[in-house]
Amino acid sequence: MTATTALTPEQLQRGLRRSRQRTARRWALLVNTPGRALSCLILVVFALLAIVGPYLYPANLPINPKNIYAPPSPAHLLGTDFEGADTLALIVTGARYVLFAAALAALITVVIGTTAGLAAGYYPGLAGSAIMRVTDFVLAIPGFPVLLVLATIWNFGSLWEMAVALGVFGWGGIARAVRAQTLSLRERGFVEAARGLGLPGGHIIRTEILPNVAPYIGMNLMLQLTGFIYVEVGLFFLGAVPYSTNNWGVMLNNAVFQANAVTSPRALAYLLSPLICILLITIALVTLANAVDEFFNPRLRRVR
Amino acid sequence: MTGEADLVITEALEGASTAAVAVRVRDLTVTFPTPDGPLPAVAGVSLELAPGAITGLVGESGSGKSTLALTLLNAVPAPGHVAAGEVRVDGIGDVLALRRAELRRARGAKLGYVFQASQNSLNPLKPVGKQLLDLGRSHGVRDRRALLHRARQLMDKMGMDAARVLASYQHELSGGMRQRVGIVFALVLNAHVLILDEPTTALDMLSQAAVLDIIRKVHREHHLTTLIISHDVGVIGDLADRMAVMYAGRIVEEGPTASVLADPMHPYTRGLLTAMPRISGDIGAARPLPGRPPDLTSIPRQGCVFRPRCPLATDDCAAAEPPDTVLSNTGLRDRRFACYVTAGELS
Amino acid sequence: MIEARGITRTFAARRGMLGRGGVRALRGVDVAIPDRGAVSFIGESGCGKTTLGRILCGLEDFDGGDLVIDGQSMTTLKPKERAPHYRRIQLIHQDPYTALNPTRTISQILTDPLRLRAGQTGAGGTWVTGRRAQLLELVGLDPDYVLPRYPHMLSGGMRQRVVIARALTVDPVALVADEAVSMIDVSLRLGILQLLRDLRTQLRVSVLFITHDVATARYVGHGGELYVLYRGTVVERGPTDALIASPVHPYTQSLLSAIPVLRGIELPAPDRVVPTGPLDEHADVPGCLFEPRCPFTAPGCRDQPPPLVPLDGSPQGQAHAHACLYPARRSVVPAPTVPGNAPADPARGPQP
Repeated sequence: MTATTALTPEQLQRGLRRSRQRTARRWALLVNTPGRALSCLILVVFALLAIVGPYLYPANLPINPKNIYAPPSPAHLLGTDFEGADTLALIVTGARYVLFAAALAALITVVIGTTAGLAAGYYPGLAGSAIMRVTDFVLAIPGFPVLLVLATIWNFGSLWEMAVALGVFGWGGIARAVRAQTLSLRERGFVEAARGLGLPGGHIIRTEILPNVAPYIGMNLMLQLTGFIYVEVGLFFLGAVPYSTNNWGVMLNNAVFQANAVTSPRALAYLLSPLICILLITIALVTLANAVDEFFNPRLRRVR
Repeated sequence: MTGEADLVITEALEGASTAAVAVRVRDLTVTFPTPDGPLPAVAGVSLELAPGAITGLVGESGSGKSTLALTLLNAVPAPGHVAAGEVRVDGIGDVLALRRAELRRARGAKLGYVFQASQNSLNPLKPVGKQLLDLGRSHGVRDRRALLHRARQLMDKMGMDAARVLASYQHELSGGMRQRVGIVFALVLNAHVLILDEPTTALDMLSQAAVLDIIRKVHREHHLTTLIISHDVGVIGDLADRMAVMYAGRIVEEGPTASVLADPMHPYTRGLLTAMPRISGDIGAARPLPGRPPDLTSIPRQGCVFRPRCPLATDDCAAAEPPDTVLSNTGLRDRRFACYVTAGELS
Repeated sequence: MIEARGITRTFAARRGMLGRGGVRALRGVDVAIPDRGAVSFIGESGCGKTTLGRILCGLEDFDGGDLVIDGQSMTTLKPKERAPHYRRIQLIHQDPYTALNPTRTISQILTDPLRLRAGQTGAGGTWVTGRRAQLLELVGLDPDYVLPRYPHMLSGGMRQRVVIARALTVDPVALVADEAVSMIDVSLRLGILQLLRDLRTQLRVSVLFITHDVATARYVGHGGELYVLYRGTVVERGPTDALIASPVHPYTQSLLSAIPVLRGIELPAPDRVVPTGPLDEHADVPGCLFEPRCPFTAPGCRDQPPPLVPLDGSPQGQAHAHACLYPARRSVVPAPTVPGNAPADPARGPQP
């Protein structure tokens, strides 16, 4: 007695079509409310700015010493900076550094953190304890103050160096989360079965555990990105890392300390533009973090 | 209003017997939104819980039995929605038409609900005694001592060490004990109607037998009207006076338990009984039921819902859902079933 | 032939609120599983049957005794050497919902162990796909339907069949089915039970069936043996049908008495045995472990744990053995009503 009778080709096609529709519906989760759709749009726009922005303007922006800290006008939509360069141009070209550095740092933390977490979780004996001691050490380091101190001896202003500096101190959280997930997945039926079937440890970690840990990494990642943006902008704002290429943190530093934008009304656009950009990106990332969670966890979905 | 609950409890303590209560469900339909539009988890169900009797509802996963159970309390979880029908309880009226305050009073005080053991309806952060007092407070009970006394009485009857249980947290109690505590909570405000959703599912055989004995005893002594919902035909077959079989949101057969089990009319009931592993009888006579129970989206939209798995299906079965055929025998209460083929054979 | 000899296992004490001594999950259990045999373990939760099943699969260690698989003793081997032997005993989990990786298709789930096997035997890709289809058909599934799907698209019964197919990829000699049908819909259970029965005859596979629902143990095949476990000891064992028909140990009798009686088609048994109290996992008892709950306790039961002895008069092969000082046959299983009689509402049997 078979549990499934042999299917006609039409039934097979219909079944597969339904599963394709289901996949499409999952991706639609990212845009199914106005908030989410807007967030996606914001991120896409900024990503494009980051990638193509610098190509839209000459390497050295035209300056106009006679028109410094000008208010917004048709010629300069967001006003000008302390040299008379167009603020809008500065925003567009400054996006690349901020977003790329944050993205790279996030990538570094994910790679290091996930590897450490998986290893510590799957081999909980001596190896696992050793890895967790290192992780605890990294977690205990107060990130921002240490970076401030580090900045005095090492100028990590370039994009790659900034990413490495941020990433190296930031992987503790992900390692912890991944380890906790791995420990619990390890006892799950399908992982035990894989071990019982003689599948090698590396294979199990890659194909059984990692895909089930991905949801946690996904959400963690989006929130970490916002953290990294704050840290790097903060470092430049405080002047801890000297000016290398133009970026939003530098703009804020100039606006507050040079243009006195906090106390005087001029150069307000120069101060607010980078702040609003950061705000928009943060809100977009946090909004989509929920969508990412629903994407991986079907039970959270509500039919709208 | 606040004195009402106290009066009720005092009556119970004085041993005053209250008349048993009937519950009538009529044409109940509960739908859930899906990408294909709203689909019914419960479709046009009519069921009567005879006063003073234990009624059993048997159904597998996807049958809609849990949704039906929650609807009796007007507690269908969003985004579910009651599309039609009513649930009339003697002394309350239509539960589905009650406003929030009245509904809250009805739940607990008139309708007692015991959740599945696995749902852990007890608060893990508070001892049982405190939760009991919370329950009383939310129903306006002023005499806390009487409430605790009644709870202790119930617990003693169920063979529990009342002092110990009232002081315990949820995780300190075994599965069987938690289930018994659930029953105490459902009855402590002197409810007349007791609804048990999968009361023994997570329990092993001995605990199950103990809980079933308790349900029987409590039902008898408090003159309750009881509804038991389970996927386990054994539990229903042992405990219930009348049973209803639910499939794909519809009741396909109903009648006195002994009669339904000895002489099932609907092909699903027959198939289920033949496919059930039994402790006695010829194992060679057992036959598995082909196919699988449907979920909300795979229920056939037209014709009899059991048709895809039915060995007796004819073309008539594809056209429209079969109506209920009611049999009245002298000496036995009504039986009903919904099948064209069996109805045809009997006439 | 798989033999467990005197297996003991104690779980360390948990500190904190419950802070008592460790739980002795198994206290010297002997089990013999013959080739193509069917052995069932029954008992309450906490009796050690799941632990024993996992020990046989190599998923848990044991503290004392020995496990002999086809003549090879496991304790004489180094841990790494044991793995290939344990691989021949595969576990079928209780929960088909967590036994399959939700992020992989059935095709991928089955191909992984088959490819490993092909690597060892030097077979090619066509062997892998062929064997995959063959195993799916063996467990009653249509490969075209099942292979491209993810686990959540299949019913519980189908998932459990996939789990069985996966277990068969390594050509096991035994399957340990731990409550393998308790989380599956009632109408689908018989199919899985019959599948396990058929696998015994079609392949050289024996089945160890762990359950608290004694009725299901009958369907895993005739010629089976039933072991009744209580707090880590075997209190009764014997041929399945004989043991169900006339058990002699009060604990077995209480388990069978607890089975619900279906009105109208079954008559309650004349005897009914009910334990006098709940199970206390931590109680230290010098004599018979069941004595604190036994309704027939008698002098001598508290002195020493009764040994497992054969029942007088039982046949030599597949002897019926028990661990009770005062065994007594009691009729505790409901019987089907005689066909032809009008279904009456039967009176319940006498309470102890």
